[in-house]
Amino acid sequence: MSKNQTPPNPGAEGQGIAGHGAFFQQTNLSPEEAEKATDWVRKHVDKRSMDLGERMDDIRDHMWELEKEGEIIVHRITDEHKPETVQTLFGWDKKIPTTRLWHHKSCGQCGNIPGYPTSLLWFMNEFGYQPGVDYLDETDQTSCTAWNYHGSGIGNVESLAAVFLRNFHQAYVSGKQHGHELGHFYPLVHCGTSFGNYKEIRKYLIESADLREKVKKILGKLGRLVDGKLVIPEEIVHYSEWVHVMRHRIANELQKIDISNLRVTVHAACHYYKMVHEDAIYDPTVLGGNRAAPGTSIAQALGAQVIDYSTWYDCCGFGFRHIISEREFTRSFTMDRKIRVAREEANADVMLGIDTGCITTMDKNQWIGQAHGQNYSMPIMADVQLAALACGADPFKIVQLQWHASPCEEVVEKMGISWSDAKAKFEQYLKEVEQGNIEYLYDPKLAVGG
Amino acid sequence: MATYAEMQEIFDDIRSDFRYDHELNGCLNCGICTATCPSAQFYDYSPREIVQLLWTENVDQIYDAMQEKIWACAQCMTCAARCPFKNSPGGLVAIMREVAIKHGMDSARDVLRPFGRVMLKLITTGNQLSPDMIQPDHFPDWGPNIQKVEGDLKTLRKAIPVKTLQTTATAWEVSLKTSVEMYTIWEMTGVLDALELMDENLFDVIEDFIDEKREEYEDWLEEQEEDDDD
Repeated sequence: MSKNQTPPNPGAEGQGIAGHGAFFQQTNLSPEEAEKATDWVRKHVDKRSMDLGERMDDIRDHMWELEKEGEIIVHRITDEHKPETVQTLFGWDKKIPTTRLWHHKSCGQCGNIPGYPTSLLWFMNEFGYQPGVDYLDETDQTSCTAWNYHGSGIGNVESLAAVFLRNFHQAYVSGKQHGHELGHFYPLVHCGTSFGNYKEIRKYLIESADLREKVKKILGKLGRLVDGKLVIPEEIVHYSEWVHVMRHRIANELQKIDISNLRVTVHAACHYYKMVHEDAIYDPTVLGGNRAAPGTSIAQALGAQVIDYSTWYDCCGFGFRHIISEREFTRSFTMDRKIRVAREEANADVMLGIDTGCITTMDKNQWIGQAHGQNYSMPIMADVQLAALACGADPFKIVQLQWHASPCEEVVEKMGISWSDAKAKFEQYLKEVEQGNIEYLYDPKLAVGG
Repeated sequence: MATYAEMQEIFDDIRSDFRYDHELNGCLNCGICTATCPSAQFYDYSPREIVQLLWTENVDQIYDAMQEKIWACAQCMTCAARCPFKNSPGGLVAIMREVAIKHGMDSARDVLRPFGRVMLKLITTGNQLSPDMIQPDHFPDWGPNIQKVEGDLKTLRKAIPVKTLQTTATAWEVSLKTSVEMYTIWEMTGVLDALELMDENLFDVIEDFIDEKREEYEDWLEEQEEDDDD
């Protein structure tokens, strides 16, 4: 239709309402009758409570059966872990322990974005958690090795399973060294890929007697069986799920800075919600329950403006192998599909992530975009880092933003924190560090494990 | 070029993986996986094609796809989350990569060459990467703002208020006992054998390192026993 043509009159004889065709007829219902007839349109459909019948198995049911048969020991989340119950994709319950946590660190976070774990530990201290009792960070743990597996193909299900069981066995027994019972500390997995990988491996372990048999020999040799049995966790819990269940306490008890002026976009990590997707948390109060809740929910609780964008479902471009050896793919994808869209559509002040690889990818690959005329940028950080800033944590000492390449200065300033003052203070602190005067979040002696 | 029998053997190895039936349940050719795949936007790669080749047991084209295509997958698993048949093309690619390594395929060797440094770090320390691998000099494409505070790496790491993170050669401090346990896992699961097939030089370096660390651990154990006797 050209611009000068008049649109058809919806009420004209024989024309019907535009788009409904000539067969359209008025119902002549009263307003009350019309409202009743269209009730179903307004009805809230709880997508989380659909009946899946036999189409989807809850692997945890089989886990309990295996324990009953004496095959495994389940590391339980008890009342002592003060759990919160949340709902996952299909409306299944998932218990998230809030205390007595064993920090299972992420190699990418610790190596590259250290403000990620420090912000998390800082929060636990702010809530009055006692290190060595309410949480433990120790040296007796390895990477999950899944980054390497997904990148190179070196490794296999047995090696991934043995690493999973070794690390989680250590979590189970770690309390003993500090005078607690077995199972005192419950593992809190920091990395999204570890989280996805461990869930996948747990599923294989529960489904395959052959795999259990093979890894049992390895764990036996390592002295990592309990009463001759493998230890498998009741739930695999990601740190962002802890932040999610603590979000109202964080906002109500600790928030110091109003961030209602911030426009926030969120990139949910693929390995958080696309691997063993039935285990990811969704909440009807967070973007209508149409997006995985962690990450977004804390931004919402802190009062930021959460802005959605069309490429929310895309991965970041990390690729495991690609970030190391095919960086053209990684940076092109992250700039074209994430940063540009978050900038142009959402005009966001910051993009939050809930995983290691995504934050590294999106944070580090912006500057090079200028070579292709992509002259835009966006501060990138983890949900827990933004939350810590909003609760008054030091941008350098605690949030460790000095390791980020994206312009985090901009969002810090917009929150009313002086970047230059904080930086000058930190540079003074570095002189203290050189003299050996180092501040710690917990007594370093507690870290010695194994 | 492999013979048909060799290609058949490779396919048999793929489908005998216990995950295979879990990851492949049928295919409507709907292409949702490819439509949503990040790698499909940049490479000659389609998860739908991978699934179709496997589903139709097209052994020579499966072999062909293993030369290059399977290494394009970003392993994000978006395909798996979207597939109406609950296939996991990304999971199938992971199996194919493992088999490519098992058969010492050149494509795997080429792909893994730039991965050597990461592999060395992971196998020997139990950490995938470390702060000293992520220095500005190694990543000029990350731009001038990569380090917002001047200072040497050691001091900057010491300024992290968490004891386990005050390291430069590993992402966090891993106890010696833990690393030694990892070596046992690598050995007993055939990971070191796979590595030897892929890169003999790297394997030799890693073996020497492992021997050294094991000796160090034995010495430490002896010291502990002596202390206990005293």
